[in-house]
Amino acid sequence: MSWSPRLRDLPDWRTRAVFERNAQVYLRNWRTAFLPPALEPIVSLLAFGIGLGAYVGAMKWHGQSVDYISYMAPGLVAQTVFATPFFESLYSSYVRMFYQKTWDGLLATQVELRHIVWGEITWASARGVMNASVVCVVLAAANALGVLHIHTAWLLALPLIGFLAGWCFAAFGLCFTALVPSIDHMNFPVFLVGIPLGLISNTYFPIDPHNAILAAAMQANPIYHLAELYRALLIGNGPDVHLAWLAGTSAIWLLVFATAAQTLVHRRVLGE
Amino acid sequence: MADLAYGAKILIARGLVKSYNGKRVVDGLDLDLGAGSVLGLLGPNGAGKTTTLRMLYGFNEPDAGEIRYDGKLLRDNRDELKGWIGVCTQHDTLDHDFTVEQNLRIYASYFRPPLPAENRRVAALPDTFGLAEFAKQPPRELSGGYQRRLMIARSIVQKPRVLFMDEPTTGLDPAARVDVWRLVSALRADGMAIVLTTHYMDEAERLSDAITVLARGKAVARGTPREILGEVLGEHVAVLDVADVDASALQMWAKARTGNPPARVLDEWQIPLTANQLAAFSEAFSHCRFTVRQPTLDDLFLRLAIESPRDPEEAR
Repeated sequence: MSWSPRLRDLPDWRTRAVFERNAQVYLRNWRTAFLPPALEPIVSLLAFGIGLGAYVGAMKWHGQSVDYISYMAPGLVAQTVFATPFFESLYSSYVRMFYQKTWDGLLATQVELRHIVWGEITWASARGVMNASVVCVVLAAANALGVLHIHTAWLLALPLIGFLAGWCFAAFGLCFTALVPSIDHMNFPVFLVGIPLGLISNTYFPIDPHNAILAAAMQANPIYHLAELYRALLIGNGPDVHLAWLAGTSAIWLLVFATAAQTLVHRRVLGE
Repeated sequence: MADLAYGAKILIARGLVKSYNGKRVVDGLDLDLGAGSVLGLLGPNGAGKTTTLRMLYGFNEPDAGEIRYDGKLLRDNRDELKGWIGVCTQHDTLDHDFTVEQNLRIYASYFRPPLPAENRRVAALPDTFGLAEFAKQPPRELSGGYQRRLMIARSIVQKPRVLFMDEPTTGLDPAARVDVWRLVSALRADGMAIVLTTHYMDEAERLSDAITVLARGKAVARGTPREILGEVLGEHVAVLDVADVDASALQMWAKARTGNPPARVLDEWQIPLTANQLAAFSEAFSHCRFTVRQPTLDDLFLRLAIESPRDPEEAR
C-alpha cells in the first residue's frame, strides 16, 4: 500500500457507484436522514443569533458595524459545511464499514477500496452541500423578514464553494473512522477535534490570535478561511483574499487527509 | 507438491503466501479448480481457509505466489477478472437499506460491462432462488435460510465463472442447509466452478468433487474425500469406551504404532488405523471391547486438530 491520494480514482464509475448507493439510501430515508441535521443550524441561528445576539448587540468587523446575527450567519453556513461532512464520514461511514458490512459487500465486486474511500468522501461533502443549502434558504427568509442583513445574491454560491471545501473535511473525518477502535471512541475526534475546531475558526465569534504560532495555525485552517470568505460575500464587499487561502488550504488538506484516509482505511479494512 | 499443468483449469494458484503480524497464515499453497467442478477447502479454525479465499477473490494481495484465472494473472487484470468472480461471504453483507429485489439490482450495478440481458436476469433471480414472494421486503425480514439464498443469488448476479462460498451453511437449520446444497448443485450443473469452505464434513463430501485439506496454512491432503481418508487416516477407526481401557497404555501404543495419539470424543477413544494396524491393535487390546467403523472427514478434522492445536492468540 503506497501513500497516495489515488486522485485518478475520483472520476471512476466505481466511485460514482458508491456515491449513488449512499444517495439512494439517503433518498429512501430522507425524512430522518435530512430533516434533523438540517434543522439543527436553524436552532443555532435562533438561539445564538436572536437569543445571544440580543445581549451582544453590534460588533465591529473589518471596520464596519454589524449586528451579531448578521455576523454569525455566514459562520453558521461555514460550520455546517465543515461539520456535516466531518460527522458523516465519521459516524455514517463507520456504520457502513463496521456494522452494516456494506464495504465488504462492495469489495466482493469490481469496486475497490480506493473507490469506496473517494465515494464516501464525495458523498459526505454532498451531504454538507444539502444541509448548507437549507441553512441558506433559512438565511434568505430571515433576511426577507428583516431579522438579519446580508447580500442574499451570494447565498447561491455558498453551497458550491462548500462542496469543494467539504471534500477535505470529509477526508479529515474518514482518517478518524479508520483509526477509532470502536464507535464509543468517536467521542475523541468529535469532542476533542471536531467541535473545538469548528468553534475556533471565526464561525460564531471572532478570534484575534496575538501569538504567531496560533496565527499561523489559523491561516492553515480552511474552516477559518471559509467562514471569513462567506462573511466577505454576505456582509462585506464580495470575494477577498480568503478565497485564495481557502483554495490553497483546502487543496493541501485534501491531499494530506485523502492520502492518509486511503492508507489508514486500507490498513483497517484489509488488515495490511 | 505435484506440478499441476494449465489446461481446462479455470483457476490456478501457485505458491500463495500470506502473513499477518509476522505470522504465516498461508504458507506456499497451490490450488487448482476445473470449470464446472467444486473444490472443498477444509481445515480446523486458523488453518488459513478464509485468508486463502480472500486472496483468491482479490480481497487481499498475497505476499508471494500468483493467482491465474484462465491463464490471466489476477494482479495484472483485476478489473476484468473480478467480473468473473462471485463471492458469497461467511457473514451477511446484504444491504439492509434495500429490498431483496433492489439488493440484486444495485449489486449488478457494481460490475462492468453490464450483461446484455441484465434486467431480465436480475428480474428472474428471485424466482430461481425462491425469493419472489419476498422481493419487496428488506432482507432483515427474511429467515436465515432465505437471507443465505439472497446472498448466493446476489453473488451470481453478474454470471460469474467462479463462485467462492465461505461456510455457506453455517448457522442454518437442516432444511435450509439442504436448500443451499440444492442451489450449489444446480450452479455446478450450470457449469459454474465453485470453491467452498465448510466445517460440515457431510457437506464437503456431498458437494465437492475434490477436497484440499489445510492445516497451518499448508495443504496436508488433496483428492476425493475417500482418497484423502485412506491416505491420511487409514481404512478403519477403532472406537473404545474410555472406561474400558487404560488411557496411558492406549496413548503409548497409538503413538508408537500409528505415530499419532488417539482422539478423545466425550466418553470414547477413537483411533484411525490401517488394516495391519487394526490387526496389531486387536492383539494388543484383546481384553477390551471395541467397535470398528469406516473413517469419516470428522476423524480427519480431529486428527488435524490434535496435530495443529489452535494458537491461543487465534482462539481469542
